[in-house]
Amino acid sequence: MGLFSESVEVICADTGQPQAVQWKGEQYAVSNEPVRWYERRQWWLEESRAPLGSGAGLVDHEIWRVQLQRPQDEALAGRTITLDLVRHVGSGRWRLLRIHDAAPERAVEPDEAA
Amino acid sequence: MSFTHLHVSTAFSAHFGVSWPDHLAQTAAADGATALACTDRDGLYGTVKHLKACMDAGIDPIVGVDLAVFDDDGDLRTQVAGRVVVLAHGNNNGAGYRALCRLISDAHARTSGKAGGVVPVAVTRSELASRTLDPKTLKPVLTILLGPDSDVGRAMGGRKYLRPRTLFKQWVDAMPPGTIVAETVSHLSAPGEPLSTAHAVRMLKLALEYNVPAVLTNAVRYCAQDGAATADVLDSARTLKSLPELSAAPMLQPTGLLQPTGLLQPTGQGWLKNAHQMLQLAKEIMNAAGQGKADLHKLLANTEALADKCRIDPVLDMGWKKPVVPEASIIGIDRDPMVELTQRCEAGISRRFPGINGKAEKHLRSRLEHELGIIARLGFASYFLTVAEVSRMILDMGVRVAARGSGASSLVNYLIDISQVDPIRHDLIFERFLSGRRSTLPDIDIDVESAERHNVYRKIFERFGAERVTLMSMQNGYRARGAVRDAGMALGMDDGEIGEIAKQLWRFSARKFREALVEKPELRDFAGRVEQGRLEENQQLDLLVDLTERLDRLPRHISMHPCGVILGDATLLDRTPVQPSGLGLPMSQFDKHDMDPMGMLKLDVLGVRMQSAMAFAVREVIRLHPSKAEVVAAGKHPVEPGGTGPDFIAADGRIDLNAVPFDDEPTFELIRSTHTLGCFQIESPGQRELIGKMAPREFNDLIIDISLFRPGPMKSDMVRPFLEHRHGFAPEKYPHPDLKPVLQETHGVTVFHEQILKTFHVMTGCGLDRADEFRRALGNEIQEPGVEEYFRREAIKNYSPEVVDKVWGTLKAFGSFGFCKAHGAAFAVPTYQSAWLKTHHPEAFLAGLWEHDPGMYPKRLLVAEARRLGIPILPLDINRSQAEYRVEKIHEGPDQGKLGIRLSLTGIYGLSGAELKRIVAGQPYDSLADLRARSRVSKPNIKRLAQLGAFDALHKDSGGRANRADLVQHLQALQSSPSKKAADVMEGQLSFALGDVELRNLAPELPEPSMVDNVRAELDLMAVDVSEHLMDSHRPLLDKLGVTTANRLLGLRNGTEVLVAGVRIATQTPPMRGGRRVVFISIDDGTGCVDSVFFHEAQEESGPLLFGTRLLLIRGTTRRTGPKGISLSASKAWDLSQPETLPFAELLPAGGGPPDNYTHQGPLHGISRNLAITGLGS
Repeated sequence: MGLFSESVEVICADTGQPQAVQWKGEQYAVSNEPVRWYERRQWWLEESRAPLGSGAGLVDHEIWRVQLQRPQDEALAGRTITLDLVRHVGSGRWRLLRIHDAAPERAVEPDEAA
Repeated sequence: MSFTHLHVSTAFSAHFGVSWPDHLAQTAAADGATALACTDRDGLYGTVKHLKACMDAGIDPIVGVDLAVFDDDGDLRTQVAGRVVVLAHGNNNGAGYRALCRLISDAHARTSGKAGGVVPVAVTRSELASRTLDPKTLKPVLTILLGPDSDVGRAMGGRKYLRPRTLFKQWVDAMPPGTIVAETVSHLSAPGEPLSTAHAVRMLKLALEYNVPAVLTNAVRYCAQDGAATADVLDSARTLKSLPELSAAPMLQPTGLLQPTGLLQPTGQGWLKNAHQMLQLAKEIMNAAGQGKADLHKLLANTEALADKCRIDPVLDMGWKKPVVPEASIIGIDRDPMVELTQRCEAGISRRFPGINGKAEKHLRSRLEHELGIIARLGFASYFLTVAEVSRMILDMGVRVAARGSGASSLVNYLIDISQVDPIRHDLIFERFLSGRRSTLPDIDIDVESAERHNVYRKIFERFGAERVTLMSMQNGYRARGAVRDAGMALGMDDGEIGEIAKQLWRFSARKFREALVEKPELRDFAGRVEQGRLEENQQLDLLVDLTERLDRLPRHISMHPCGVILGDATLLDRTPVQPSGLGLPMSQFDKHDMDPMGMLKLDVLGVRMQSAMAFAVREVIRLHPSKAEVVAAGKHPVEPGGTGPDFIAADGRIDLNAVPFDDEPTFELIRSTHTLGCFQIESPGQRELIGKMAPREFNDLIIDISLFRPGPMKSDMVRPFLEHRHGFAPEKYPHPDLKPVLQETHGVTVFHEQILKTFHVMTGCGLDRADEFRRALGNEIQEPGVEEYFRREAIKNYSPEVVDKVWGTLKAFGSFGFCKAHGAAFAVPTYQSAWLKTHHPEAFLAGLWEHDPGMYPKRLLVAEARRLGIPILPLDINRSQAEYRVEKIHEGPDQGKLGIRLSLTGIYGLSGAELKRIVAGQPYDSLADLRARSRVSKPNIKRLAQLGAFDALHKDSGGRANRADLVQHLQALQSSPSKKAADVMEGQLSFALGDVELRNLAPELPEPSMVDNVRAELDLMAVDVSEHLMDSHRPLLDKLGVTTANRLLGLRNGTEVLVAGVRIATQTPPMRGGRRVVFISIDDGTGCVDSVFFHEAQEESGPLLFGTRLLLIRGTTRRTGPKGISLSASKAWDLSQPETLPFAELLPAGGGPPDNYTHQGPLHGISRNLAITGLGS
C-alpha cells in the first residue's frame, strides 16, 4: 500500500457516491459498492486560518474506498485496483490518498477467533 | 419525517460542548423537529436555558444528563468504566425530573468541590438502578442510554466480541426492566475506530440479541460542522494536552479498551444533523448490519417513542416560574403569614416612627396599606417573613448587616428591619421594587461583613435545614486572556510566548481579537508578528487569533456565586441538583438566570469588605479608648456644654455607627477635600474628580453623587449640566412646571429611575406600577416603540407637542441606564460611615482597611495614605506584631503620644497559617533560640522575618553590635547547614534568662543594608513599602528632570505642561461616548495620587507602555476639574524602571546631564509580585 496525494477527477451519482474515476489520463468505472468514512485532519498544521464560520471540512475529510476497473480490461474479469480517494468537504476537490496492491480489505473486520 | 436528537451537549458542558441552547433549539425547530434533548455532561448546567430555548422555538424540551459510571469491578472511588446518558421521563408530575436531580447530586456527593480532587463525578450502577424507579409508584421514570462511550462501547476496541457482550449482559441484569436502551451512534469514522458505523452495528446487534430497544442518536457536541474545530480546542483544554500531542496519542490504551474521552474526536461529524441526514445515517448502519427496512423503521420508531416518553412539561414537571418559599412553620409561624406580616409592620411603626401622628401618620399608613395590599395579592408574605428571619438571625450573630438595592424602596422592609433606609424620607417608590404586575420574587440584597459571610451561610443552613438551602452557582466563561492561553496551548505554543501575548490583552471580548489587533496600540507589536508570520508561511499566530475568538464566552466551570443563597421548602433538592462548593457547603447547578424560571427564592448575602473594615475599626477604637470620654476626646466628637458627648457612643466607648447622624460637618469637609482614598464608593480616580467638582454638602448629595457616577450618566454627559445647575452657572430648566417636583432635587436633570417612573405617571396617569414596566422596556428594541406610542398618545392630551417631544427624548436617552435611587441611598450609608471614621478615627480606620483590603487599590497605596496623613507605620516586630494590624499608642521617640499602626504578621510571603498561630501564641520571645523552640518557624521564614526587621528590637536589646545584614547572612548560613535537633528543654527545667547569646555574639562584618534593600525586601515579602515610599530613592533623578509632585499639582494653573512620575495604582478603560477608548492611569508618588488620562493620540505615543509598566514617567498638561481637583491630560509616557531608555536630551533642561547614578534600580527592581503591588495581573 502506498500513500499519495495527487489530484483526480471523479464523477459521482446524485447521492454523492463515486461512479467513475479519471486517473493517469484514463477513465475507470467503479465496480463495487464503494465504502465511505471520514478521517480527521491535522488542520492546525495544514491550515493557516480557522475562523468561526469556516464551515465543514476543517476537522475531517471524506474518504471513499473504490474498486476500479478499466473498461477495456473486461476480459480480465475480477482484475481490479483498489484506491482510497479523499474528497475535501469544503472545496469538493478529490485527491488520491492510497493505492492498495492486494485484494481490498473488508470494511468490517472479521470476527475475533472464538 | 422528523427526528428527535436525544443526546446533545450544549456549551454548558464545560470544555466539551460548543453550541448555545437557543441556537440548537432554533436549528432543530427549523428542521421540523418537535422536541430536543439537552444532556450536558455531569449536570443540568444548561437545562433551564434549554427549557426556555425550546419554549421560544415552540418545541418540547427533553432533559437528561451525560454521566460517568463507576466500574463495579474496580476501585469504586476512582475507576470510571464509561459514560451513559440518562433521560428523565416527562408528564409524570415531575417524578422523572426529581429522580434526575437526585441522581446527579449522588454523582457529585463524593467529590471535594475543589479543583484537582481525585474522586471523579460519577455514580455507581446500583445508585443508577435505584434512581430509575419512582420511589412511590415503583415505575421507571428514567431511561439509561448505553452508547459508544459506555463500558460496553469502549470494550469494542480490537476485535473482541465476548467482553462487550458480557458487559451488556451485566447492565441487563442489574437494571430494572424497561430502563435501558442501546444507543447506536456513527460519526462515520474509519472502520474499527470508535464511533464508526461498524461499532454502531455491533451495539445494534447486542440490542437485538438481548431484546433491548435500540435508538439512534448523533452524540451531538456542536450545532453545525463549523463547531468541530472548536470542539478540538476544548478537548485540548480539558485534557491539558496540545492538539499535536493528542493526535499522536495512540487510539488504543494498553488494556485494549477504547478511551474516546481524553483523545480527539475521530471525525468532525458530531453535529446536529437534520432529519434527512439522520435517516441516511440509519440506512447506512442498517445496510452494514444486513438488516432490512422493518428494522430501520423500528430503530427510528424506538427513538421517537423514547422521545415522546421524555417530553417534559415545564410547568407540571419542573415547576416553571412557580415561586416556592420555605414553609411558614419553619420560620415559626402557625397562622396566616399575611396576618403575621401586618402585625409585625404595626409593631415596626412605633419603633421606627415613635410618636408619629397627624398628616404624617396618615401618609405613612396609606403607604403601608398600599404595600401590604400588593404583597397580599401576590401571596409573597412568607417571602418577606423569610428574609426578615435571615436578617434578624444575622443581627443576632452580632454581624453588621445592611440591605442594599431596590429593597430599600419598601416601607415594609424598613418596618420589619430588613432595610435601614427610610423610604419615605428619601422619597423612594415601592413599585421600583415590587408591583402587582410582576409575578417573580423581588430581589432583596443583604450586605454583611465579608469576614463573617461564610459563618452567615453556615448559620442559614443550620437555621432552615440543609434540605431547604443551597448556594447559588455562577458560570465562568472564557475571556480574552484565558482564551488566548488555552488556544495557545492547543496549538502547542511555548508557555512564555503565550504569557507575553496574554499580558497585553486588556478587557475586550475574545470574539473581537482580530478587530482589536488593528485598533489597539498595545497590540501593535503582536499584530506585526502575526503579519510577519503570514509572510513566512508560519500560520500559528493567525490560527491563535481564530481559535481565541472561537473560545470566547464558552463556559469553563461553575463556582460559588459571590453572594447567592437559594432558600426553598423541603422539596428544594428535588428541583435542583447540588454539588459541593469549594467552601464545602452544597451549591446548586443553577445560576442567577435560572432562578426566576425555576421559581427559586434567591437571597443575595454579599460579603462587603468595607463592612468588615468598619467593624474592625470600631473594635480598635474601643480597645484603645475603653470609655466614652476617651473616645470623645480621641475622635474630637462634639460635646454640648455640660454634656458628655454624642449618644451614639456608649459608656464603654462602643460606637453605634448606624446611629451616627448624617450631618457631621468635618466628615463633609474631608469628602470635599477629595482625600477619600479608602472611603466606600468614592475613592476611585473618577469619583475623586466628581467629588471635587460637586463638593457634597449633605447626605442627599452623596446619594446623587453615587448615582451619577455610573457608566450611563458619565457616558451621556449628564454630569456637566447637573453641575452647572447645581453651582448656579446656568439656570435650572424644567420641561414643564408639572415636572418640577419630580426633578427639583437634581436641578432638572433626570438621574434616578424613580424620576422616570414619576415622569411617566405625571404625564400619562399610567400608575407607578405600569410606569416601572415602561421603564424596563426602554432600550429594548422590540418593546420600546410600543411605550413611545403610548406615551405620545396619552401625554399629548395634556401637554404641548414640544414638551412631549422633549420629555420623550429624555426618557429614551436616560431610561435604560438611570440609577435606582434606593440603590444610591443604600450605598451612601457606608460611604458616609467610612468617611466619618476616616475623619474621626483615621488610625483605626486605616488599620481596618489594611486588615480587610476592601478597596480597588493595592494595599501599599493605603499604607502610603497613612504616611501622607502623618500616621506612624510601626515596623514588624516579633514580639509586638500580631496576626492582625493593630493601632498602638507610641510611648517614646519623636512620635510620642501619637497613635501608630503596627504591621501584622499575616501576608508575609512563605509564612504558613500554622506558623503564624504558633508565633502569636508563644509571644513574647527572649531570643531566637526561644522562637525556634516554641514556634517552630522554618529556617527560611526566620530569615525572611529577619530581612523584614522583625528581630531588630530583640537584636538591639541583646546588646549585639552587628546589623540586620549580618543577621540575615548568619541565618542564611544556618539554613544551608544540616538541621540538628534542637536541644530539648526538659519539662520543669527552666532555661536561664541569658538574653540572646546568638544575637549578642554575632560579629559585625557587613555594611548596614541600604534603605533600598530594606524596601525591596518589604515589597518582595509583603507587597508593601514600609520603611519609606518606594519612589523616594528615585527622587534625585526626578528632581533633575524637574518632575512635579502630586501635592504641588493643585497649585498649578490649568494647562501647565508638567512631568510627573510614580508607581501605577489603577488602570481603567471605561466605556466612552463615541466609542473611542480612553485609558485612565493613576500613579502614586508618595505625596498623593496623580490621575492621568490618555486619549487616542497619547495611547498611540505610549504603545505597549500603557498596560505593562509599573513605574511611569508621564508628560502631560494639567486639567483643573474643580476647586480641589486637578488631573493630567497625558501626551506621552515612559518606563521609569529603565532610565537608560529615557530620552534625556529631550527631557532635561538645556545644558543639564543626567545625574551620576541615573541608572539606579529602585526597590521594585527584580520583584515580580505585580498584582499585589500595582494591581496589574501577571
